[in-house]
Amino acid sequence: MIFIFGSLYSGKRAVAASILHCKVEELSNFAVWDVQELAAQADNLEALADELSHYKAVIATETGGGVIPVDASERAAREAAGRLNCLLAERAETVVRVFCGIPLVIRGDLPC
Amino acid sequence: MTVLVIGGAASGKSEYAENLLCRLSGDAPKVYVATMEPHGAEAVARIAKHRKARTGKGFVTLERCTNLAGLRVPKQCAVLLEDLGNLCANEMFSPRGSGDGAEASILRGLRYLRGQCAHVVIVSNEIFCGGTAYSGETLRYLRTLARLHREIAATVDGVCEVVCGIPAYYKGAERFAKL
Repeated sequence: MIFIFGSLYSGKRAVAASILHCKVEELSNFAVWDVQELAAQADNLEALADELSHYKAVIATETGGGVIPVDASERAAREAAGRLNCLLAERAETVVRVFCGIPLVIRGDLPC
Repeated sequence: MTVLVIGGAASGKSEYAENLLCRLSGDAPKVYVATMEPHGAEAVARIAKHRKARTGKGFVTLERCTNLAGLRVPKQCAVLLEDLGNLCANEMFSPRGSGDGAEASILRGLRYLRGQCAHVVIVSNEIFCGGTAYSGETLRYLRTLARLHREIAATVDGVCEVVCGIPAYYKGAERFAKL
């Protein structure tokens, strides 16, 4: 599994499609995205990470960079999202951060 | 050469961008394109602070809050555009801006600058790491600026993020990181 993360609207899905050699419209066959939203609702983040690892690519939007939210449920959601990212990175062969549409390989190698 | 320099608030992006342009420009005339509309005491103070920081670096300052394509700069000069986030907001929300045509207007202006100048350094803002809980105009602004970032990053020679005053290059490291 390739874990792809980056800030809001950084071009993560386009990068994923390019890595997987498919069109963005076909991406749902191979990849899952906005997993930070799944984290917020999960009872068991480890189990969620295991389940998501079956996809070729898992895509998350980074949400941990701003001011700590005043709202408790938003705080919890942000915690869960960050923790899920760590669990996904542990399970990934390759970890990629996207910045302005440019992929930066943080760990491992991109498949040919 | 064109380089996109992105950084968060007070990351040292302006100072890095100024120094980068000075190193790139050689003998070429240096033009600073200032985008901030001088409304209110805070904006005026910020403009004065940036002007002071540029003193002695040999920049001619041109103010341009909207319609970048209407700007006229000398051929083969070196331009520092500061900053894209501000210009994007002016185009989208200022009465003199181009509203829905903001993105096209800015890209047109950048095409003119890149055609006319020897070097262009574009300063912009990292404002996308604070989660996804936005709505309405803020979300529209984020989306527009992010799209501009991606379109510009795809065509320029260098892209870096300034963190703590240090440039981390995503594109063009071999050419610019050691300058």
